[in-house]
Amino acid sequence: MRGHGSLFGTYVAGDSLLHRTPLWVKGLAVLLLSTSVLVVNLLALTAVAFGLVAVGYLIGARLPPIHLWRPLVPVWPMLVILGGYQIIANGPESALQVVGNITTCLLAARLLTLTTEGQRLLDGLVALAVPFRRLGADPERFGLTLALMTRSLPYLVGSVADVRDAAKARGLERNPRALVIPVVIGAVAYAHQTGEALAARGLGEPNAADPSGPAQTG
Amino acid sequence: MIVFEGAAVSVDGPDGARLILAPLTLELSERRIAVIGANGSGKSTLLKLINGLIPPTAGSVLVAGLDTVKAGRAVRQRVGFVFTDPLSQLVMPTGLEDVELSLRARLRNPTERRTAALAVLERFGLGPLAEQSIYDLSGGERQLMALATVLAVDPAILVADEPTTLLDLRNERRVRSVFRRLDQQVVFTTHDLDFARDSDRVLVIDAGQLVFDGDPGAAIDHYRRMHLEADPLPEHHP
Repeated sequence: MRGHGSLFGTYVAGDSLLHRTPLWVKGLAVLLLSTSVLVVNLLALTAVAFGLVAVGYLIGARLPPIHLWRPLVPVWPMLVILGGYQIIANGPESALQVVGNITTCLLAARLLTLTTEGQRLLDGLVALAVPFRRLGADPERFGLTLALMTRSLPYLVGSVADVRDAAKARGLERNPRALVIPVVIGAVAYAHQTGEALAARGLGEPNAADPSGPAQTG
Repeated sequence: MIVFEGAAVSVDGPDGARLILAPLTLELSERRIAVIGANGSGKSTLLKLINGLIPPTAGSVLVAGLDTVKAGRAVRQRVGFVFTDPLSQLVMPTGLEDVELSLRARLRNPTERRTAALAVLERFGLGPLAEQSIYDLSGGERQLMALATVLAVDPAILVADEPTTLLDLRNERRVRSVFRRLDQQVVFTTHDLDFARDSDRVLVIDAGQLVFDGDPGAAIDHYRRMHLEADPLPEHHP
């Protein structure tokens, strides 16, 4: 099973400025940058935001340029369709802006996960959900759910690639059923296996994060 | 001590209830217990009963006196489970993060958790692979990593469902060597009869029934005879 590529990426070890920046600062920056480009709707701002994100990748996080275009590989057909539609409907400037905004938001979110270890991200997500504990929410389960979601995406992307290769090997690459059905069945099986594995480890159970810790037997 | 008290598992089918595992009454107290049998014979079901992943539809299973249904959480804290495919078990991008996930319940301080997780990986000779993507590890490394994530919380009992089935000979020997050195009581299923021979007691399961229970030599002989009688090899015509 291929499981490498991901829209959100996985952590790349390092000691750059962005690696050392607290998670809340990075999260706030991504939120502000994404909100401003989507709300203000100005091509110049999109260009500036994209430039900032690129600087963040290359200088702030000292990542190789390949990380800038890697997340775009799985989404380029969608960006092309969206851009094409925008050119016809609203003109080339609008197309550039819409595609630029999506690309900037995607790259900004990915920069956060590339420079933050999974456990730190999980701690941050749990902290984010703590205020909702009064409403009955379980912060540990919330954090674990989101962490699992980011972990599952590369698996599913790999699953699509495997199924596509298998269909090609049988000469069925033009048959949508040969691609969709195995991917859906595989995704359901994956969800079932992950749930079983979590249950077996007692993860995600109510109060599983009780700091008093589990009992021991001899 | 693991106790099966008439524990059985059945599922509803179009023709009524189908028995997956016939009522089983036995006590498991030996350090190493192997369960052997053909595919689909009910071996994995038996294992999943031990940590409450599957509730018995009749009877009960007790681990250290705790009912696996009524005290499921407490049982799972005492029983670690290793799956055949480590990729379905490792839920974080790297082994280090997965071990840290196991330790979250007992260590809230991230620095202490990191130190403890690294110590666990070093114990299994996996320190150099700590921060590698789980997808970049070999099958054997992944299985050892999955084992480390389970043993990180020191379960009293380890249950392993065909832990060497997907491994090549070298990695199979590595995993078997780790199993031999464990302090925990270990219950495992396997198709590898040499691996089964490493145990103190072997249960032979066939079509959901426990058909033999005894020392490894006698159990393996019984299993071999059973299959040769039921399904003799066809004559070879070149």
